[in-house]
This record gives sequence, C-alpha cells and structure tokens, in this order.
Amino acid sequence: MGQTSSFFIIPGKFDPAGLSDALRGLTPVFEAPTAARPFDLLDCHDQSLRAQGQLLIASGGTLRLLRGQGDVAVQRCKGKGTFVQDMPDGPVRSALVGFPKLRALMSIGSGKVETANFAVLDDLQKTQVRGSVLSLTANDGQVALVTVHPMRGYDRSYQSVCSTFESMADGNGGIEAVFHSLFSDATPYNAKPEVKLGMQEPSIEVAADIIRTFLVVARQNEAGVIADIDTEFLHDYRVSLRRVRSVLSLFKGVFSPEQTDVLKREFSDLMAPTGRVRDLDVYLLEKDIYFNLIPANLHQGVEAMFAQFAKERTRALAGLSRRFRSAAYDQKMNDLFALFADTKGLEPGPKADRGAYDYACALIWKRYRKVCKLARGITPDTPDQVVHDLRIDCKKLRYLMEFFAPLFDKSDFKKLIKPLKKLQDNLGLFNDYSVQQEALFEFVATQSNSQGQANAQLAMSVGGLIAVLDQRQKAERDRVIANFQHFDSPDIQHLFRTLFHHKED
Amino acid sequence: MKIIACYSNKGGVGKTATSVNLAYAYARAGSTVLLCDLDPQGASGFYFRVKPSKKLTDARFFEDVARFTKSIRASDFEGLDVLPANLTFRDFDVFLSRMRNKRSRLKKALVTAGSDYDVIILDCPPNFSTLSENIFKAADQILVPVIPTTLSERTLEQLVSFFEKQKLPKKKIKAFFSMVQRRKTLHLETMEKMRKAYKKRFLNSEIPFAADIERMGQNRAPVSIYAGRSAASAAYQALFDELENGVVSTK
Ligand SMILES: Nc1ncnc2c1ncn2[C@@H]1O[C@H](COP(=O)(O)OP(=O)(O)OP(=O)(O)O)[C@@H](O)[C@H]1O
Ligand SMILES: [Mg+2]
Repeated sequence: MGQTSSFFIIPGKFDPAGLSDALRGLTPVFEAPTAARPFDLLDCHDQSLRAQGQLLIASGGTLRLLRGQGDVAVQRCKGKGTFVQDMPDGPVRSALVGFPKLRALMSIGSGKVETANFAVLDDLQKTQVRGSVLSLTANDGQVALVTVHPMRGYDRSYQSVCSTFESMADGNGGIEAVFHSLFSDATPYNAKPEVKLGMQEPSIEVAADIIRTFLVVARQNEAGVIADIDTEFLHDYRVSLRRVRSVLSLFKGVFSPEQTDVLKREFSDLMAPTGRVRDLDVYLLEKDIYFNLIPANLHQGVEAMFAQFAKERTRALAGLSRRFRSAAYDQKMNDLFALFADTKGLEPGPKADRGAYDYACALIWKRYRKVCKLARGITPDTPDQVVHDLRIDCKKLRYLMEFFAPLFDKSDFKKLIKPLKKLQDNLGLFNDYSVQQEALFEFVATQSNSQGQANAQLAMSVGGLIAVLDQRQKAERDRVIANFQHFDSPDIQHLFRTLFHHKED
Repeated sequence: MKIIACYSNKGGVGKTATSVNLAYAYARAGSTVLLCDLDPQGASGFYFRVKPSKKLTDARFFEDVARFTKSIRASDFEGLDVLPANLTFRDFDVFLSRMRNKRSRLKKALVTAGSDYDVIILDCPPNFSTLSENIFKAADQILVPVIPTTLSERTLEQLVSFFEKQKLPKKKIKAFFSMVQRRKTLHLETMEKMRKAYKKRFLNSEIPFAADIERMGQNRAPVSIYAGRSAASAAYQALFDELENGVVSTK
C-alpha cells in the first residue's frame, strides 16, 4: 500500500491561506515556523544530482534529499566537503549510491530556510494528514518545498491535500524550479561542452572556438583547486588545457608557425606547475589499491611513502593555489581569452581558411591511418616504446573526433568511439603501470643515501609493488593486440572510410 | 506480536479507559499498536476522535482482506492505529485466529502494509455474549479492571473458576484495582481481602478514581496528553511498566 509521502515545489512565497481555501470540511493548522536558519544546496561541481532531478539540502547538521516523486530521505550528517562514500551509513547515503566517487559535495548556493509543520484536521479536530513546509529564501527569490504525509485510513483527505498543492505547484518543472527561483545563474558545469561548428566554417575559427571554450572550462576549475574540494577540479583543468594544446599541435597550418610556437610554449607554461600536484593526487587516490597489491607485512614501508606523498602534496598545492590567485596569472588567462575571442589577433597559417568539414575529414583520416599502421605492426616482441606511441596517437585521434563530432552523425561516431575507447583504456592502464613503476624507483632514489642504500622496510615494500605492477603492465600489454583487432574490424574500417575518406575529392 | 484483552463481564469498570491509556503508553514506548474497538458504542474510537466505521459485521469481511486493512485508522499518535470496527462475537473469533496465523492472508496483508503490529489491545464490550473462550485462548494477557467493591468480587470469582473448569492457564489473568478511592475504608478493606484471596492474580499497580480520567470524554485524548503530570497519568504508566517489564512501582 502506498504509505509514502509526496512532495511539491511551489515557487514564490508560500501562502497557507491558499490551502485553507481549497479544502472543504478540513482545516489546515500551521505551526509557527522555526527561526530562519542558513542552508546550503549541495551537489558536486558538475551538478550530477540536479541532472538526475535530485535536491540535497544541508541545514543545521541535517541532510535532506528530495527526489522526483515525493521521496524524501533525511540523515543527520554535515555533508559539505565530504565524499558520499565517507558519509556515515544512513538513508541519504544509501540513496546517493551512484554519486561520483571522486567528487565531493559542495555548496551550489545558499540562503535561509524556515520550517513549519502543519496538520489537516477534520470536524472532530482529528488529524487526517500531516505535512511540513520548508521555505527557502535566497538572493534571487523564494520557493517552498512541501512534504505531505498520508495517515492510514485517511486516503481521501490525503488525495485532496495533494491535489491542492499540485495545483499550487502548477506543473512547474520540478526540481529545476528550485534552481530558477533561488539560484538563477547556477548553470551546471560541463567539462566537455559541445562546440557548435559550421560545415564550411574556416578552420582558424574552429580552432579559436574550441580553444576559447576550453579556456572557460579551465577557469571554472580554479576556485575548486584553491579550495581543495576534490581532485577532479585540477584534473579537469589539466584536461581542458591539454585539449587546447592538442588543437595547437593537431591543427597544423591553421596558425602561423611563429604564433603556433609561442602559443604552445604559453600553454606548456600553464600546465607545468600543475603536474606534480596531479601526480601526487593520483598516487594518493590509489593508496588503497597499492595496499591491496602487497601482503600486510610489507604495508609499513608503503605507509611511510604515502605519508611523504601527502605532505608533499600539501606543499605543492599551496604553491599552485598561490599561483592561481596571483594577478599575473589572472592577467595571462585574460589575455589568452581576449586573443581567442575572435580571429583578429590571430595570425593565419596556410590552412586557416579551409572549411571545417573537409579539414576534419583530412585530419581524422590521416590520424586513423597512422594508428592502424602502428598497431598492425605490433607483435609480442615490439618494444614498449611503440605501444606508448600508439597510446599517444589513439589519444590524438580521439581528440580530433571529439572536436569535430558536431559535424558528423552521432550514432556513427558512437560506433567508432566504443572500440577505440576500449583500446585506449587498455593502453591507459599499460601506461599507468609503467609510470607508477618509474615513480616508485624515483621515490626510492630520493630516499636513499649517497651509497644508494635505502631503508629496508621501504625498499622491500616498493620492490614488492614494482614486481606486481610489472606483472600487471605485461598483462595489459598482452591485451593490446586483441583490443586493436576488435577496433580494426571490417565494419569499423568501412565506416572510417565512408565518413572521412572521399576519394572523389 | 502480543494480544492484550481488556476484559470484564461487568460494565463501566474502566476497560475502555485502560485500553486507551495503555495503548498510548505502548506506542510512546516505541511499539506499534493496534487498538481494536470491539464495543458497538465505539468508545475507544471516540477517545481518539476516530469516527466509527460503517457496520462491518458480516463474516465475509475478514475474507476481504483489503476491506479490513482499509478500515484501520491512524490515530494522531505515532505508532498507534485504531480499528474502529464494530464486530460481532463471531467476526471477532475469525479475526483472532487470522491474527494468530502467520500465514493467513490477513496477517500477510498487514505485514505488507507495514502494520505488523507489536501489540494488539482489545477493548471488549461488557456484554461480550457468554464468556468468550476464544479470547481467553488467543490473548496473551487478560487485563481485568476490578472496582474494589463487594459486587466486583463475584465477577472475578466467576472468571477465575471458569478458567479452572476449562483448564485454561490462569496466569493469563492480570487483575488490577480500578477507580480506587483510598479515602473509602470499604475500598481498602476489599482490596486487602481480595489480594489475599487471589494472591497471584493481582497486579500491584492500581488506577485511582480521578477527575482527570473522567475528563477524557471532553478532551478526547489519552490522559497523558492533557494531564501529563497527573497522578492518573502516572498510574497508567506504572500499569504499563509492570505489565511490560515486571517493574513494580515502589510508590
Ligand atoms: N479511574 C477512573 N476514575 C474516574 N472515572 C473513571 C475512571 N475510569 C473510568 N472512568 C469513567 O467511568 C466511565 C466508565 O469507564 P469506561 O468506559 O472506561 O468503562 P468500561 O468498562 O469500558 O465500560 P463499558 O463496560 O460500558 O465498556 C467513563 O465515563 C470513564 O470516564
Ligand atoms: Mg468500554
């Protein structure tokens, strides 16, 4: 039997009289509202809860999660700044199981909240329906979140109270109404916004559009890095700048060689100070995995290593934050943004005017052929370096396809990207295991004395890790050939050819 | 699940007042409670402001599980529901056996409706036809209010001897003195005499004759709601404690 509550979102200031007037034979009685308290609307940076139609409100040490059809979960817990998997067990935590593991809950907006309970009474003063109204006020406006609880045996009254609120809500777009009423400019962050391109758009404009878009994305992550909310901010920052750099290197001949060189250097300079923090983030995120790779009696050495990493990360992040807050950095980013705002300040190269679609086909086809040539030559005896090169080329191919995706059929692209992604994941792991081994060697080197001797605990632990990582790297390598063959199927080959290689031109 | 019957063959001894206040005490202690109003007058439903349901007297009512669960009403108090049904003796028999049978459709329907009650309290009408053997069998405890007067003595005596004759477990009988007026010598003497005669049958707790209890009719709520600090409220709480936890108030 449906004993669950319902909830309604009523934009604007809530008027209790609206309920009294609409109910016949029943009298709603509202308690005096609680004193206004501050609240935060929580979500992660990409607003994944909002995207799923969920609303998480933190106030006075209590989290309240509102979902679609009146489902409300409440849990005492602070929420802000925490990861869902670190929350204590409870209904809100369980309801948030699909929440991104790497994302922390952060405040998307804040304001004041008042709560008033109400009871709907019959002529004997018997309560037939209960409910509560959360009135949220923020700078942009007000909204009321009404929860209605049924009481056994009083279904009819429940239905009429619900339909009254339903008509007050007036079909107003559910949870989105809360955002529109309270935080109208809290636009969701998108790490990979689609850049609108025209088929005949000159390549130099395409390049500027893409670079401008990802400069904006990069900047949207600075505050999160400074506040150290979660490691995804820096990751997204770096990915955005990497996309910019790949435009500069892949769109050959679009800008003059001189300007290309200058810009490449500028973007490398932007990336460089972020590298060490990111490396340390990755090590620390994989801490548990490392511990699981080796037996417990080798844990002590790894423990010491991670303590070092954590310390170094704090230091490195402080440096990076200082940089992000500096006027010089801000100036640099503003200048770059101004440069790509239009094409006036850009120096065109020989390919600058080539139409986007033609240019896309040529670049993708060329890169695809390069990937195939390299991959088809890989045998069990090929040196690791070739596998690393294949990874880089696959990545470039993927970037090109993503940049130009708006010019092609979505489902065709999906078909191509799926096996490519699988191959890339495989190559990515192969690379990670190799980078990790190098990092471990390097760490031991820095911890050794001038005779090259290291603490035995540490050396044993790291030795153990390297052995396991090496095994894993080999296993990944063994999968590359099969994954490539999958990508190299006749269907995929045919599709690449039809989409990007038009012989008649 | 446990079934407590408030029973006496004598009218006006405080069965309904006890059912209502005890049901509330159980709910407040965190149990889920169904108070079954078996009185055609709908007395305990009245105290919870629950309107009596339409006549639900045909036996087929219990075959129709949905109709039955639908006639349960939530009270204003968390965990306390009221069945304001107006049952005949025969219906009630069927009801009890269904409630006792874990696999009955009725029981299953209650469980899925989230109403697997911890405690069922039966407010029996005084003229509950002849002595209902089935209540005595089905209930875990039979709570008998006794006004300490000579007339009540006979009622209890009849009940106890019925149990003996039928070889029913006498220890289910939990008698307690109701509407006690300690200023009256007759009350004190009767109580002393009866406690001696029925050593194991009487609970220690007693409910005083109190204006606060009489006022239940105007307030239409358990005593603790409108007279939380009264002696009457404390007396019902002590009755609950003794019944549930064997705790005997030392007052
Ligand atoms: N302890 C008490 N002190 C004062 N008045 C009481 C007390 N207990 C019950 N009453 C009052 O006595 C009357 C009868 O009580 P109650 O209805 O509880 O008895 P009952 O045994 O259920 O009666 P019936 O046999 O008619 O169902 C009611 O008006 C009630 O308010
Ligand atoms: Mg009665």
